[in-house]
Amino acid sequence: MKTMILGVGDLGASNSQDAEIKTYALGSCVAVILLDPRTRTAGMVHIALPEAKINPAKAHDRPGYFADTGIPALLQEMSKFGCHPQGKGLLVKLAGGAAIMDHNDTFNIGKRNLLAVKKILWSYGMGPRSEDVGGTFSRTVSISIKTGEIFLSSPGRPNWKI
Amino acid sequence: MSPFKQHPEIARAIAEAPLLSPVANQLLQLTAKADHDLKDVIDLVKCDSILTARILKVVNSVAMGLMHKINSVEHAISFLGERMVISIAVAECASDFFSKPLDGYEGESGQLWNHNLFTAIASRAVARLAKGELPPDMAFTAGLLHDIGKAIISEFLRGTSHNMVTDIAQGKTADYLTAEQNRLGLDHSEVGFKLAQHWKLPEVLQQVILHHHHPERADASSKALTYAVHLGDILAMMGGHGTGSDSMQYHLQQDYADHFNISRDDLALLLLECTEEFQKIEASLANREEH
Repeated sequence: MKTMILGVGDLGASNSQDAEIKTYALGSCVAVILLDPRTRTAGMVHIALPEAKINPAKAHDRPGYFADTGIPALLQEMSKFGCHPQGKGLLVKLAGGAAIMDHNDTFNIGKRNLLAVKKILWSYGMGPRSEDVGGTFSRTVSISIKTGEIFLSSPGRPNWKI
Repeated sequence: MSPFKQHPEIARAIAEAPLLSPVANQLLQLTAKADHDLKDVIDLVKCDSILTARILKVVNSVAMGLMHKINSVEHAISFLGERMVISIAVAECASDFFSKPLDGYEGESGQLWNHNLFTAIASRAVARLAKGELPPDMAFTAGLLHDIGKAIISEFLRGTSHNMVTDIAQGKTADYLTAEQNRLGLDHSEVGFKLAQHWKLPEVLQQVILHHHHPERADASSKALTYAVHLGDILAMMGGHGTGSDSMQYHLQQDYADHFNISRDDLALLLLECTEEFQKIEASLANREEH
């Protein structure tokens, strides 16, 4: 099986049925996963921060780094595979957005990432079909393009799916 | 009875841990002094031909993006800065120690080094936001060494990750440090402290290693530095550079605000800048030379 590995701020899509898309150790980052049953295409973006306004130059170089530029960029990438450019008919799944143990949520960038992701998705009329988010543990995520299954793992926990 | 007496095998592992090279040790001693000079660092590096060669290799690596090759060690150290010299010196003499898999945390080979390096970068960035005076390069060095205890204790935690994580998730254990205490009667920060004493690291580094999860317990002279590393450690985990099953399973000590001015936007910028610097330093420390 071919594996497309995404780092922080990377995005990618594929319709190759013998491939998977994977990203490691999400921490407070969020993986937005889009699945198109019609074209049998899957895509993922590894979002690190909510808003591109803190560094527009970075957003230009690597739009996947931010929620507000990453989701439009992923939709554009997936449109190359025949998916609807505004996301019609696409299923959304989310993973990540963890936090350190912080009673005041001061350092909870994971929560801010998730809120920003959902806000952008709503602007397209989209919402997550399923999600595995929050908590105080890091996640590694992979998509099987053939089945559309999302596999998650985290050290010390049995693997699971969403 | 002291926990190390209860676990003579851990005390033995500390005693048998590889020592840092004499030059690395002297560099750490020198740079821990507030009034040191970069010339002293250069003079020390010149005593070690292998370290000198490595520094020249790193400065001329693709990641540094230089237009012209640097051939003098003085120029190389001035360009790279003290923190890179420390990283190279520690990596050169203890790469096996820092690179081994952390089986007790289900951590893979290289994760400890990457975690320490990210923490070092983030601690330095946090130190720049200190309300008082706090040397950023000192925070970098302390961050680079803060989790040395994991390289020792990991072996004695084999097979415990699942139970530790489950107990924390069920609220039976407060955090991973407590889980280690419950299991062995000691934790990675105490083991790191013992190793730091064995390595004869400067007192201030010993304090940071011992208290990096509870900086409020550090003595007054090292408190701000310990908070900087506490926050650097947390930023590393948030950025996906943990060491395995313990990642994110620690508490943020809220008193950090007494020492640093960090807004929510600063936090996002810190993560962004540290991720970029980490990628650059990591690439330059790898063996990719400019041709």
